[in-house]
Amino acid sequence: MTTCVKEARQASAALCPPAPAIWLPWAVAGVLLAAVVVAAFALGKFPMAPADLLRAVLARSTGAASGLSPAQETVVWNIRLPRIAAGLLVGAGLAAAGAAYQGMFRNPLVSPDILGVSAGAGLGAVLGIYLGLPLAVVQALAFIGGLLAVGTVVGVAGLVRRHDPVLVLVLAGIAVGALLGAGISLIKILADPTTQLPSITFWLLGGLNAVTTADLAVTAPVMLAGLVPMALLRWRMNLLSLADEEAQALGISVVRLRLLLVAAATLTTAAAVSLTGIIGWIGLVVPHVARLLVGPNFARLLPASLLLGGGFLVATDTLARTAASIELPLGILTALVGAPFFLFLLARPGRGE
Amino acid sequence: MKRRHWLQSGLPWLAAAWWGVPAWAGPTGSTIAARFGKLPPPERVRRVFAAGAPAGVLLAALAPDKLVGWPLQLSDAARGLLGAPLQGLPFVGRLAGRGSTVPMETLVQLQPDLILDSGTADATCISAARRVTEQTGLPCVLVHGRLADHAAQLREVGQLLGVAERGERLAAYADATLALAAQVRASVALAERPRVYFGRSADGLETGLEGSINLELLDFAAGSNVTAAAGKGSLTRVSLEQILGWDPEVIVTQDPAFARRALSDPLWQSLTAVRKRRVHCAPSMPFGWLDGPPGVNRLIGVHWLVQLLHPAHPAVRALEPLPVAVQRFYRLFYGADLSPKAVAALLEGAA
Amino acid sequence: MSAVPQANSATLPVLEACALAIGHGQRRVGTDLSFAMAPGEVLCLLGPNGSGKTTLFRTLLGLLAPLAGEVLVLGEPVAAWPRSAFARHVGYVPQAHAGIFPYTVEDVVLMGRAARIGRFAAPAQQDRDHALHCLNTLGIAHLRQRIYTAISGGERQLVLIARALAQEPVLLVMDEPTASLDFGNQIRVLEHIAQLRQQGMAVLLSTHQPDHALRVADRIALLGGGRLMAIGTPASTATPERLAALYGVSKRAVATSLGTAIATSHPPETTP
Repeated sequence: MTTCVKEARQASAALCPPAPAIWLPWAVAGVLLAAVVVAAFALGKFPMAPADLLRAVLARSTGAASGLSPAQETVVWNIRLPRIAAGLLVGAGLAAAGAAYQGMFRNPLVSPDILGVSAGAGLGAVLGIYLGLPLAVVQALAFIGGLLAVGTVVGVAGLVRRHDPVLVLVLAGIAVGALLGAGISLIKILADPTTQLPSITFWLLGGLNAVTTADLAVTAPVMLAGLVPMALLRWRMNLLSLADEEAQALGISVVRLRLLLVAAATLTTAAAVSLTGIIGWIGLVVPHVARLLVGPNFARLLPASLLLGGGFLVATDTLARTAASIELPLGILTALVGAPFFLFLLARPGRGE
Repeated sequence: MKRRHWLQSGLPWLAAAWWGVPAWAGPTGSTIAARFGKLPPPERVRRVFAAGAPAGVLLAALAPDKLVGWPLQLSDAARGLLGAPLQGLPFVGRLAGRGSTVPMETLVQLQPDLILDSGTADATCISAARRVTEQTGLPCVLVHGRLADHAAQLREVGQLLGVAERGERLAAYADATLALAAQVRASVALAERPRVYFGRSADGLETGLEGSINLELLDFAAGSNVTAAAGKGSLTRVSLEQILGWDPEVIVTQDPAFARRALSDPLWQSLTAVRKRRVHCAPSMPFGWLDGPPGVNRLIGVHWLVQLLHPAHPAVRALEPLPVAVQRFYRLFYGADLSPKAVAALLEGAA
Repeated sequence: MSAVPQANSATLPVLEACALAIGHGQRRVGTDLSFAMAPGEVLCLLGPNGSGKTTLFRTLLGLLAPLAGEVLVLGEPVAAWPRSAFARHVGYVPQAHAGIFPYTVEDVVLMGRAARIGRFAAPAQQDRDHALHCLNTLGIAHLRQRIYTAISGGERQLVLIARALAQEPVLLVMDEPTASLDFGNQIRVLEHIAQLRQQGMAVLLSTHQPDHALRVADRIALLGGGRLMAIGTPASTATPERLAALYGVSKRAVATSLGTAIATSHPPETTP
């Protein structure tokens, strides 16, 4: 068989053009991401020379004193670092969850909100703000709200046996999401317009301005707990894009795999939303863009989504905090930046779809 | 909940700042709700950041040269009614947890010695203040800001900022005003208090329920908020039906458009207040007399409203005339010298 | 055609249905279905629309629970087989469909290796080699890097067969593999099935075309009216009488349609 294979490979190589080194695109992506992160550290409302930045980093790594003022140290380590780390983590998490959902629901126009996790987290958070609870409790409520919403949707969908299971999940998600959205609107009406409503509005639009290192320390492990199963199962996700019976015939326990991926994606998304509020568009656009760049195979699509999502969110956040005199909410910017870029990618000639 | 701060461990000065000094809640009777971080001694406080509009007004009155910037946008007309250092202060944005408009880095760049917040001090505000201190190392102080607290507030914050003498002067004024209101309240029984409706938006249908800090002036000035029947709460929207049902005797507002509308709109004609032409618009320059923000700016509003509701009361009759009182207040609190013409324009432009 | 291998006690039947009743819920679509397949045998299922061929396949593959009786694969009941182990022995080739995502042909064939690699693993070089070998067997190695959604229906059907072959099964179950293919592609698929049989693969396929069955099958089964009306050699089973009864048409029409096919597969019988 080896000779047959060798001949076949030679034959096919003769017909297909050779692909460039497999690691090259990833190296380029890595370098771009590093450049975005460095730029994010260097830019901001607080004037900071690149030399000072370098000194701060060197001093931290060697343990020596950096000679910078406490204010500069505060800005670099307490304000910019948590923001950039959170941006990378949340962007990567939302993009990975979006990619997983798009594969599971066999639809490239699906976002992680489809099962209602954002609506549930939003309701938990605005309820906490309305009741005047401490911010840590508000975040916990957001996380629990997101999990409960998806749990309800999955539970309800499990009771219905008649139609295609994927369709039932989507419809149940839409219904539960609408219900929770109505709850959010109700609380917006009841909230105090001068003190609570701005907080609620900004929370619903998403932003990284209130992220501290303590928040990250609590949320990061949870997000990683969700990302790790998705990363490990990334090749198997390809099989979920087939009809359920086909996938089962190929040896996959479809229900279990889907449940596991929904749980992992929900954990990641709920943790992300509790940290930063609702940032839309990343879970929808980034996997789609990644698919246009590396193809639909999840073994490549998931890492690409992680890199692209993290980089995109950090870049957008840098813009949000430097473009205007006040902080612009991220949800607005991700839409304003993501949509034209997406249109551009669709318009250029590329792989056939 | 104990939090572990990974990165701060490498910065000893920050560590000493707040690991050594836990959150401090004031003793009962104090207006200071909480403070975080290491406060500098009063004589060394040179720059103060106002987290919200009520704190901005408080600082403008107490220590105008220490205020770093305005947390609210002020029109040119408003700035014209303020004293010299306050007129030119830039807008910097508010600090309100998630609803902040001031970027954190700008806050650090401004390097205030202290951040002051006034108003409702619920758990959300307190935890937000703690976070700011943890993240930036700047000390935060939260003070209660209800009307009854204003005298104590002025005294305590004055001491914190090293302007105790000025704080005492302002507090004396506040004391006098509060005493006046208390006197009127004591002598007018609940049932005899005029029923007042405070309309807030341009259509007048936004108002406040009992307990709302924005409307406490009404009860304070021995009026009776008509919305009391609708329960407790904060700001809310009501329907014209409800207002017709309550049938207030007096309508007050800060929006001249609403005042005109209430007097001319046929739907409002049947109200007692409209029939008796007892629809009054309070001035709102540079800050509202009744609300907007709910801070020490309301002290002159107390005077105004008490005169409006109980003109025949002996304590009220003994007061100085309103224009004189306005001049005194603006000079004392805002550092602005208003000519009698300006005062008249202020009172008229509203009425 | 060579001698038909019979399932006997010496060789374990690769697939066996015992008094099987199939259907959904209350609706019973077929009853008392019993047959066995020997290793390396090609069994062709004929039946009119709605006779339950697809339901039967789904029950045989363990995707649908039988209403009565049981299905044995290599002697073990299907319900007892773990899903991945089952996939290592039985390959399913559905009708060619348009995909949703633009996977390459190689990616599609590699999906067949799912049962053979670890739960958290991705296909390795040896899996890719095997996939190439499967594509080679079907003569479509040149399609390796093409996009699955961009190739023709016939090529897609061959890709799906390659995917099933990548599972390295002992039994291939094919649901109407020649449906919606042009004449040339139909011939090619049938030739590949014959080739697979030469290599020892057992194949169970359903088809709407008796002439196809006559070409490749070792045995033909007629499924009609919820029962196995007949099962045996093509000569004895796919007679004009039986086919006319199965499909509800006249014997003469059947004979006319199938004239050449019947003549080549077995000597002509008494003229109808």
